[in-house]
Amino acid sequence: MTREDEYDYLFKVVLIGDSGVGKSNLLSRFTRNEFNLESKSTIGVEFATRSIQVDKKTIKAQIWDTAGQERYRAITSAYYRGAVGALLVYDISKHNTYENVERWLKELRDHADSNIVISLVGNKSDLRHLRSVPSDEAKSFSEKNGVSFIETSALDSTNVEQAFHTILTEIYRIVSQRQIQDHIGPISPNPPIHLPPTDPDFKSRQNPTCCS
Amino acid sequence: MSSNTQPTLWKTEHTVPGRPVFGAQHPPLSSKLLNKKPIAMNTIISKKKDQEKFHEYAINTDDAWEIDDRVMTLKMLDNDSKNGHDNDYPTQLLGISKQTVDEVASRVIQEHKSKSQSNKLTIDASAVRRPVLASHTSSTTCPGIGRRIGDYPNIKPLVPIRYANNDDHNNNNNNNNNNNHSNSSLTKIIKTNSRPNLITKLDIDIQKENKFKPIFEQTNIDLNELRKASWNGIPKQYRAQAWKLLCGYLPPKIERREDTLTRKRDEYWSYVSQYYHTRTESEHQDTFRQIHIDIPRMNPLMPIFQQIVVQELFERILFIWAIRHPASGYVQGINDLVTPFFVVFLSEFIENDVEIENFDISSLPEANRKIIEADSYWATSHLLEGIQDNYTFAQPGIQYKVRTLEELVKRIDEPLYRHLKNQHIEFLQFAFRWMNNLLMRELPVRCTIRLWDTYLSEQNGFSQFHLYICASFLVRFSKDLLREKDFQGILLLLQNLPTHSWTSNDISILTAEAYQLKVMFANAPRHLTS
Repeated sequence: MTREDEYDYLFKVVLIGDSGVGKSNLLSRFTRNEFNLESKSTIGVEFATRSIQVDKKTIKAQIWDTAGQERYRAITSAYYRGAVGALLVYDISKHNTYENVERWLKELRDHADSNIVISLVGNKSDLRHLRSVPSDEAKSFSEKNGVSFIETSALDSTNVEQAFHTILTEIYRIVSQRQIQDHIGPISPNPPIHLPPTDPDFKSRQNPTCCS
Repeated sequence: MSSNTQPTLWKTEHTVPGRPVFGAQHPPLSSKLLNKKPIAMNTIISKKKDQEKFHEYAINTDDAWEIDDRVMTLKMLDNDSKNGHDNDYPTQLLGISKQTVDEVASRVIQEHKSKSQSNKLTIDASAVRRPVLASHTSSTTCPGIGRRIGDYPNIKPLVPIRYANNDDHNNNNNNNNNNNHSNSSLTKIIKTNSRPNLITKLDIDIQKENKFKPIFEQTNIDLNELRKASWNGIPKQYRAQAWKLLCGYLPPKIERREDTLTRKRDEYWSYVSQYYHTRTESEHQDTFRQIHIDIPRMNPLMPIFQQIVVQELFERILFIWAIRHPASGYVQGINDLVTPFFVVFLSEFIENDVEIENFDISSLPEANRKIIEADSYWATSHLLEGIQDNYTFAQPGIQYKVRTLEELVKRIDEPLYRHLKNQHIEFLQFAFRWMNNLLMRELPVRCTIRLWDTYLSEQNGFSQFHLYICASFLVRFSKDLLREKDFQGILLLLQNLPTHSWTSNDISILTAEAYQLKVMFANAPRHLTS
């Protein structure tokens, strides 16, 4: 277990989407470069971190992988708190997982911060012969909803790095711009965990940590 | 446990919302009956009483404790005498004094010594193992026949044929080696004993078997007796029957068994023919889809669970259960809970269940597979009955249990609790899974099976005793967790606690610690607060 203790920013990102779309494998591919064809279903939430560099800044991503089954939502929605990014994952070979994307967006609107950065991720792009969700359709849907879109394959690694880098960079841009606007100096590396306040007048002073 | 004349004590100002869960078996008295002074006195009395009871219990069930438990206790005592101020920890933990441990240990050792001397035996490990290995080729001895230590020269198999487990012997040798590094005077006694631990372990297995044999010979099994014996672990050859009895599935009266089982098995299969085809209907297809997604990835490392026949068996059990229990329906994690029943009930039909992981289930006659499936269904139903609120909307049972666990840990290991809080760890973040899957994700299957021996013997094992187990389990890793200095480190450790090499002995220790907690909190909830 390697842990990077030095970082400039710590961002909490949640992985959401229907059961079986590959959320856990996206996480393990990104954080440990591992893939399991039959990984156990996630119960509650699981957690992993990885740091990346953007503009010579170290960004530590704290990624929360959630269980997909509907029954868990009452509890997992508690984990949206403090999240600044969400990867909303569906399976390109299972159309119903794409149909449910709207419900997941609603879930985020109801429980997550209104400024959360969302990315729509069509996973299992390696299953070309089984594709049931056309890329164009998902792309226009994402544009309509003002979220970014990418297709990935946790199995063959396609675009996995890209998906996480894109969302983390986007969060970084928003946060660093807001800091300039707010005349706040760069956040000092080390505790407490800093999550960019989305409502600087209120939340930042009350709860400076992300993992409440 | 509490007598009628003695008021049971309840904490009146709960910081934990909800009912006094710890005392379901100890009817709580009205707080009006209590005032400060009697509380203190009663606390002491009941505490003392419980300790005596535990002492008595430990003596009575002495032969059911595995040798490694004792060795473990001795090791703990040994470590603590070196560590100085931690000195009270293990005795406090196990509720027995060092002196008692000494006495019991030397009594057992003496007993064994005298037995082996009277038989003029010099047995070494290899001599013992040989007949065990030889027993694989012999099929004349029935499983379940216990052997006293003195019988060794005359009787070939030391353990029942089907249950010879060489791994266990190896483990035992390792333990033995480890113990050699210990300086404890008690472990020295064991060391200087002419008979190595291996034999003592077998002896204890045999004693355990001897305990179960008369119980199962009764035509009307005494369930209390069975519970008492099963609490410390059930020998493999009795486990399937014992579990069915403890679930209330198999009638204790021998003459009722066949009829009841036939009726119940037929009932399950009639559900299947009545409902299983509805899995594709719009009303149920989501349920079935979820089950169908979860089953193939249940136990990815055990080949038996990759067999289609096994997966279909699980799918039927879960689907039938789900649609017959619409209040909760199927929730991820319930699938795991079928596994121990399936494994144990299957082992009844397998010559040597050591290889159960690789067993080809299609080699089993269909009639037998149907029996295993129906029995697993009913046993799982029984288990879920006690914990259904874990799986209903918003999972209130789990939320309540996680809060209670938090409160418990706050009382029994304040430094750990503070450490977790300081690092902003929420119990829900790790303990949700502990409750939802009954620690099955944290423990190897063999350990879960051993743990369930105890759960099935407890009155509310899966719903309440499980809480004490979770608390003991967390506290077990207290030092490791305190070593982790940040949120990430702690949570990653909590998600992957190092239990892969755990054996049933670790579970025996865990259950003993949890029992101690239960006793403390059931009769004296204030015990640790002042």
